[in-house]
Amino acid sequence: MNVNYPSDKVQAAGAAVRIRRLEKRFQSVIAVDGVDIDVSAGEFLALLGPSGSGKTTILMSVAGFEFPTSGSISVGTEDLTYVPANKRNLGMVFQNYTLFPHMSVLDNVAFPLKMRGVPKAERYARAEEALATVRLAGYGSRHPNQLSGGQQQRVALARAIVYRPRVLLMDEPLSALDKNLREEMQLEIKRLHAELGITVIFVTHDQSEALTMADRVAVLKDGRIQQIGPSRELYERPANLFTAGFIGEMNFINVTAEGSGGNISVLLPSGERWQLPASAAVEPLTGCQKAVLAVRPERLQLGDAHNGFTFRVKVDDVVYAGSASLLIGTLPDSTEIRARLPGASDLSALALGSTAVFTIPKEAILLYPGAAQ
Amino acid sequence: MTTATRSRFWHSDGRRLSGLATLLLLLPFFAIIAFVFIYPLAQLLFISFFEPKPTLDNYARVVANPVYTRVLLRTLWTAMLVTGLSVILGFPVAYYMSRVRGALAALVGVCVILPLWSSVLVRTAAWSFLFQREGLINSALMAVGVTSEPIKLLYTQGAVVIAMTHVLLPFMILPIYGTLRSIPNDYMRAAAVLGATRLRTFTEVILPLSMSGVASGSLLVFLTALGFFITPALLGSPQELMVATLVSQQIREVLDWPFASALVGVLTLFVTLLALIFSKTLRFDRLMGAQT
Repeated sequence: MNVNYPSDKVQAAGAAVRIRRLEKRFQSVIAVDGVDIDVSAGEFLALLGPSGSGKTTILMSVAGFEFPTSGSISVGTEDLTYVPANKRNLGMVFQNYTLFPHMSVLDNVAFPLKMRGVPKAERYARAEEALATVRLAGYGSRHPNQLSGGQQQRVALARAIVYRPRVLLMDEPLSALDKNLREEMQLEIKRLHAELGITVIFVTHDQSEALTMADRVAVLKDGRIQQIGPSRELYERPANLFTAGFIGEMNFINVTAEGSGGNISVLLPSGERWQLPASAAVEPLTGCQKAVLAVRPERLQLGDAHNGFTFRVKVDDVVYAGSASLLIGTLPDSTEIRARLPGASDLSALALGSTAVFTIPKEAILLYPGAAQ
Repeated sequence: MTTATRSRFWHSDGRRLSGLATLLLLLPFFAIIAFVFIYPLAQLLFISFFEPKPTLDNYARVVANPVYTRVLLRTLWTAMLVTGLSVILGFPVAYYMSRVRGALAALVGVCVILPLWSSVLVRTAAWSFLFQREGLINSALMAVGVTSEPIKLLYTQGAVVIAMTHVLLPFMILPIYGTLRSIPNDYMRAAAVLGATRLRTFTEVILPLSMSGVASGSLLVFLTALGFFITPALLGSPQELMVATLVSQQIREVLDWPFASALVGVLTLFVTLLALIFSKTLRFDRLMGAQT
């Protein structure tokens, strides 16, 4: 297999990835349950979910390590569903670097070119170039075990891009690194993505990583996509109760909702009744039903701000944390409420055990059918 | 000083042993090694140099007589054959063992280890049955028509090498299996995603990474083969005399302790040199991916 590579530095254009009705069963367990994802060329997509959500199985199916029970995967115009991994020409970075310990750094990076029959001089030149791209020029003669974790992962990146794949798959590539290195590598990966124009599919269980790095995030649970969209949409308008609870912090209050269309009213545990704007209902409501009112802790305002509904909270704890303070309190029915207050807020009135008044701005309220645990 | 919780045997955190406890734990082992190995060996080497008077004559006799150098060379050659054959036969088994899971893995494991539970003598005797003129192998060869009359199998170097390989094979398989098992699955996946076929994944990644196991298995088999006694004695003819048998003859029949000691000295020299070469040329730690 001798693939011809242009020797001038052409930008590797990313390819679109299309996942259709993907299903994967392991005996009786359904790991992936009818997933559709369209990743456009050059997009950075994160697959986010708790363990067992199927995110890794999806990635493994794209990589060719798992073959789906049904459904299809295509990259560009090519159907890759049952193509073996070594014929897919995709780049991949693993969680544990997986640099071959018996090869030098340069040989590691040149390995995929060697497999493609690129002549020795050219493959070493291109490996050096790839190392320079990840800012490790001059490290080629070292052995992987002489590098730090962050450096090893950068070598793995260089090895994954040296043959200019159109899609780069990343399986929790930063979870083995400590916090500082992780942030450094996040920037590094973002920079590479911008520079190469490559399509990236990035698996993570770290939501802040997903939100900060990806153009779009797909939230998964039990093998199904819960929501797929840009970070901001995911955070500000979670599509369902699971996403609302999974992404960031959220207060949940069980209520009874009535009405439909432009006229929704909810009955709070305290007996109060609020008239909500139609936009509050994320999923359509039908008549009178159990519902959950959700609001982000940082949207709550101390005191009556005259722009929404007020309610009373018994103060259980106040944690001062510099830029913001966290107030933990309870509603009369003992629902826990958290509020993040700007650092400059006057907290002197919030004695433990006292009652504080908070305002929920109308536009901050989200309403979901169902009940919080 | 916090002496309150400090014990004579272990430190208060309960994890580290005190010097005394370490010494007590290691002492029996080192005592046995010292008394049954180092002391007799030193005694033999002493005899080889100092009996009947301080001299190198005993060694000169080993080198001077072509019969004895031939025995030494034959021993080395046989050990090399056995080692090579063990690698060829053992690697596929180890590789298979490292790939299978569950009941099948247990079965293969038992098949490899089971022979170790029977004595070398029993296994060697079994081979002598098979190799007999009227034995199973000759009958089978004649039945198939490969040969019209029995071939001489017993009392040949081939018989010795085959039986020794059989006895020593587990010592080759187990270390190779150990290193193969320690290669993370992700290396195979990484190689595949980078474009390597199964064959190239094997030759470029798995094989080099298993070399440390092959090396330690080879060292084990080779060194054990050098000193093999029962198998060559039962399955070989005097023409297949190996050094261990020769040493035994010199001690028990000729009662020539100084000469036997010199043979042991030469063998010890070989073994030491070999171990040194192995540890210098093959960086095991590097191969295993250790931090340096």
